[in-house]
Amino acid sequence: MAVTSSRLDQNPQVVERTKTLAFQQNRGRNILLTLGTGLICILALWFLTGLGSAKLSQALALFAIWGVATVSLNLINGTLGILSLGHHGFMLIGGYTTALLILSDDARQRILDSGRSAMTETTVGLSVSNLFSSIGLGALTGDGSLWLRFLVAIFLGGVVAAIAGLIVGIPSLRLRGDYLAIVTFGFGEIIRLSASTRIFAPLTNGALGFAGVPSEFGKSVWWTFGFLAFTLFIISKLKYSSYGRAMESIREDEIASEAMGINLAYHKVLGFVISAFFAGIAGGLWVSWLGNARLDNFLFTLTFFFLVAISAGGTGSITGVLVGTALVIFVRQYGDPLEEIYAISRWLEFIGIILIIAGAAFLLFRSFNRSGKRLPNWAIWLFTASLFILLLGSPVFPGINLGKIGLYVFLIPFVIMPFLPNVGDKTKGVGWVVYALLGAGILTLLIGGISPGAGWLTGTFRGFGMRGIALAILLIVIMIFRPSGIVGRHEFTWSWLFREKLDEPTEEERKQDAWLTNPELNRAGGAANLEGSSEEGI
Amino acid sequence: MAMLEVKNISKSFGGLKAMNDVSISVGQGEIVSVIGPNGAGKTTLFNLITGVYTPDTGDIKFEGSSIAGKKPNQIVDLGVARTFQNLRLFMNMTILENVLVSQHHKLKSNWLSALLRTPGYLAQEKAMREYAVEKLAFFGPRLQSFRLHQPVFVLSYANRRRTEMARAMATGAKLLLLDEPSAGMNPKETREITQIIRRMRDQGGYTILLVEHKMNLVGEISDRVVVLDYGQKIAEGSYQDVVNDPTVIEAYLGKKAEGKEETEVQKAAKMDGRTI
Repeated sequence: MAVTSSRLDQNPQVVERTKTLAFQQNRGRNILLTLGTGLICILALWFLTGLGSAKLSQALALFAIWGVATVSLNLINGTLGILSLGHHGFMLIGGYTTALLILSDDARQRILDSGRSAMTETTVGLSVSNLFSSIGLGALTGDGSLWLRFLVAIFLGGVVAAIAGLIVGIPSLRLRGDYLAIVTFGFGEIIRLSASTRIFAPLTNGALGFAGVPSEFGKSVWWTFGFLAFTLFIISKLKYSSYGRAMESIREDEIASEAMGINLAYHKVLGFVISAFFAGIAGGLWVSWLGNARLDNFLFTLTFFFLVAISAGGTGSITGVLVGTALVIFVRQYGDPLEEIYAISRWLEFIGIILIIAGAAFLLFRSFNRSGKRLPNWAIWLFTASLFILLLGSPVFPGINLGKIGLYVFLIPFVIMPFLPNVGDKTKGVGWVVYALLGAGILTLLIGGISPGAGWLTGTFRGFGMRGIALAILLIVIMIFRPSGIVGRHEFTWSWLFREKLDEPTEEERKQDAWLTNPELNRAGGAANLEGSSEEGI
Repeated sequence: MAMLEVKNISKSFGGLKAMNDVSISVGQGEIVSVIGPNGAGKTTLFNLITGVYTPDTGDIKFEGSSIAGKKPNQIVDLGVARTFQNLRLFMNMTILENVLVSQHHKLKSNWLSALLRTPGYLAQEKAMREYAVEKLAFFGPRLQSFRLHQPVFVLSYANRRRTEMARAMATGAKLLLLDEPSAGMNPKETREITQIIRRMRDQGGYTILLVEHKMNLVGEISDRVVVLDYGQKIAEGSYQDVVNDPTVIEAYLGKKAEGKEETEVQKAAKMDGRTI
């Protein structure tokens, strides 16, 4: 029987798999691909900024800034498995430190001149310029070297935030789960509220905050994406090192982790410190993007949006978190058409379209589930995308023109879908849901679209807060159909893209596995005998 | 000198004396089994040795130094590792990652050099992977190759048990505490695991303290058997001595009433040819 084993040992694929052990597999190719993608990203950014749309550049920069924050929060929430709700506090510390250190001389003078400011001569003098002057680098205090001062300031902001992370990390050694989440939330709020108290007002300028923070860095796509790339590099390297594995083991099972020699205290605090450092960096970029540092830009809702991005994208997955962040930023920056004033008839059309799409989507999911086939990925993406486009785009469609007609044509396949023989058959028992949705949709569409002039249809309505509702609905849909987020727990990797599955047995291995586990095939004994042990079976 | 010396330890949970003045010693290269009815305190004993609980009184010495009151991870550093009765694997991680995590405490590189992938770190990482495969090889080819990269949640119960034992071995421990290594395994797999435990001692050089309910496994491999009941040690000695000890039989099957016939259970046990 030892033949089976030796034959397997000679199988080159198996030998390769055991030798490389999935570490650094196809390393050269992956590095090249990553660099290539980076280059494409740079070209894409160059092209997109070249379009000259300030709104787009702002959205891209904001994506990178929030990306730094969500990826770092994901280190605690996803990798370490601790629900932390105090990220806005770390961001505040980093942001205020950066703002204070690079504030222009004019802004400093205004603070001193203002009667309401609590800042003193000493605290107003806290700047990278003065630091440089005092160590004999006075040449670097001009306008041309502001970027260097910004780098120093944001790094120091990260360090101060990391020290706060150390302090917050310590209670995490005694607490678990929900209790720890409450403590981190408390810390975040304490940081925010104490910043306006008399004790810290000389440093933070109290409720007034800092105006006139140089915004050329936070608004620059290159600076922000540079920091995002740096964050991604550090966090992903950490995640795939032995330390990252140790942190994941804490997430999986704290007791077992400790019983396998992992120092829980060290790894938790390490996670908190690194995460807080990058939160501080994100805070520095955030104040620069905003152009000012004010306490109401660091509310808990900031952390809440990060959590939404993490859950929607995929907890624990760096690539997933970026997808989630992009989604949140898109709704936030481009959701304003939803909150404008529209005629009620327009709203009705909008609702009708959504109902039709929902009915068709329900039908498709159902029929594919019933026939045992998974809904193909392209269909899921098509539905998500079309829902999204309609959600944001349909209210802006101009009145009666080609666009609208095109839209109606686009909807026809969805309407006739349930009557197609091979799709409609599979909906036994739930067909009425589909028909009700489609019927209601068509009716609403007709009322809204064909007779817009009559009676109560003439009014207007403003969907105040629709942006939040759209985000919430999106989150609900994602959570129902993909509870682990869009990307899920796993990362997007090159080996995933090329379907290099290390965990799939070859035909030979499958046979051997069956032979090992099936007593009918293997009466002599188990693996112990196969290994050539001298002992006989009992 | 014995490798592990448990001296008169006691542990109470409120009014319940879970462990009462128990002393056990395990010598280098021995396989010692702890048996006893459910609730006898076997797992509590393991938890006390591995630092999950601190003994109220008494002392635990490993290779001459006291480990009572130390944290679980410090005890692993010294060379004591365990498996769990109800499996505590890192479910969403692969087999290989599971066995790598338990070697993390031996890593000499700090987090920064691990992050920057210094040559020193990479060499250690490679060595860790080879060591992991070496430990998994104790269980034959079934945990090798493609299985290395499978997440633990897709494994069968028996394979999970094997992975957990490999994980404990990979900590680099000298003493392994196995909590019911054959639970959930069929007779054939139990015979196999018996062989493997013996090979872990003979080839791997591990000293083994195990808790087990399957008497054929205990009888097959134990150098010594310790019997616990209600948190007290009621017998110790070779398997044959222990299973014929009247106190042990009483602990398992109850006392024969004065002047009465043997109980049904005892009759059945005799008919089966089992000792207990």
